[in-house]
Amino acid sequence: MNGVSGIPDWLAMRWESARPRSRLIIGTIVVAIIGLVGLTPKTFFGVPLAWPYVGLIAAVGWGRSGLGFGPMVFLLVFGFAQDASQAPWGSHGLANLLAYGLSAQVSQMVDTERTPLLSFALPVVTLFFGITLVWMAASISSGHLVRITPMLTAYFATLVAHMLVSPLFDLRSHRRMASGAAG
Amino acid sequence: MPRASGKGYRQRPLRRYGFFIAIAGLLALLLLQTSPRLSEGVEPIRTAASDQLFHVTRPSLIDRISGVSAKERQILELEARVRELAQYKALALTMAERMEVYEDILNMQGEPGGAEVTARIMAETDGPFAEALLANAGATNGVQEGYYAENDRGLVGRVVQVGNRSSRILKVTDFNSRVPVMGEASGLRAIMFGGRDGLGRLTDLPEQGDFLPNERILTSGEGGLFPRGVVVGHVRGKTEKEVRVDLSMLTGQLSYVRLKPTITVPTPEAFPVETEVADLGEEDGS
Repeated sequence: MNGVSGIPDWLAMRWESARPRSRLIIGTIVVAIIGLVGLTPKTFFGVPLAWPYVGLIAAVGWGRSGLGFGPMVFLLVFGFAQDASQAPWGSHGLANLLAYGLSAQVSQMVDTERTPLLSFALPVVTLFFGITLVWMAASISSGHLVRITPMLTAYFATLVAHMLVSPLFDLRSHRRMASGAAG
Repeated sequence: MPRASGKGYRQRPLRRYGFFIAIAGLLALLLLQTSPRLSEGVEPIRTAASDQLFHVTRPSLIDRISGVSAKERQILELEARVRELAQYKALALTMAERMEVYEDILNMQGEPGGAEVTARIMAETDGPFAEALLANAGATNGVQEGYYAENDRGLVGRVVQVGNRSSRILKVTDFNSRVPVMGEASGLRAIMFGGRDGLGRLTDLPEQGDFLPNERILTSGEGGLFPRGVVVGHVRGKTEKEVRVDLSMLTGQLSYVRLKPTITVPTPEAFPVETEVADLGEEDGS
């Protein structure tokens, strides 16, 4: 078993040997599944559950390997799919792409693998940046400041989900997966 | 820790341009939507996209797997049926009240009621009749000979023997039972007796007319053995000589039966009118 993430070694090996394009497709499927489940009503003993912005998780994860056309196209598509729920067209796509760009920029400028604090802080900051963009888009489109609490719960849900699934959005190849949290 | 150089970053100018073009395009799209006319134009696209997305996800995957959605659908259907039946119940109560009023207006003598007893079937006896039941209610419970028995589906038989604590019921499936019946729709009269195959058979068929296929068979009330209108069964089929009847009571449970009295109408001779006798006496005296 992989010590930190709990992923079996054979699966980690298989993932390491997979091509970036295959990983991109697997990540896309994960985003589609989580996103589709997110469209359904979710309650836990009558309490509505916050659902993660999985598009942002993909943006942060894919951004670590630098800019690429494939991830950008997928993030745009995810954004438009998210916009179907009464958001202005392009708002989620903009948040996804900007979070992707920020992640790529930071990862290119700083070696996050060798600085654990930064590898932890990068998704925290980038996801917050993305959620803030969504909040701003919602506030601008509705003409007033929308409630912060749902956005914060969604942010924490996204952070938790990021810790769990971030290895699936790592496009860097020929590298042993260090941990499940940082990817 | 800073990287030595932004090598990879500089090696990908085309991707950077693509990134910024995409950002600019999205910003432009957002700005364009501030126009009400354009916003109205893209609404159908949003509606279609929403329909497709929500169609895929409703009911949810978890609900489909756990079967909750199927149960919820069934509950909704049952609730709809209950609402529909409640309307019929209200209608039936209203009609029953109206019928009572009409019977009062017409001074009509309806089917009289009487003391009813619910009895448990103890055994099928081997007494004088092949098809008889033994019920745990007798004379001490008010049961008398001639009471008829019915279950939740229809006529079961007639009480032919009464003890203090039990009574014997001759089932309509017995060959020796004779039940005056009529077709609910056709109104034709006949006598039904039991056959060995568990079906009823109609005899004394009218020369004119035929029982309709699948027609409901009710007691006609003729002869006073049974009241009018108790469900017996429905026509299963007919040959040149006989009509066979599926008995309704066989489709229900036979553990409990309801024993009900049949009010026999007395002959005029049994209760002569006293006023006439008095008038005749007066005439003789004059």
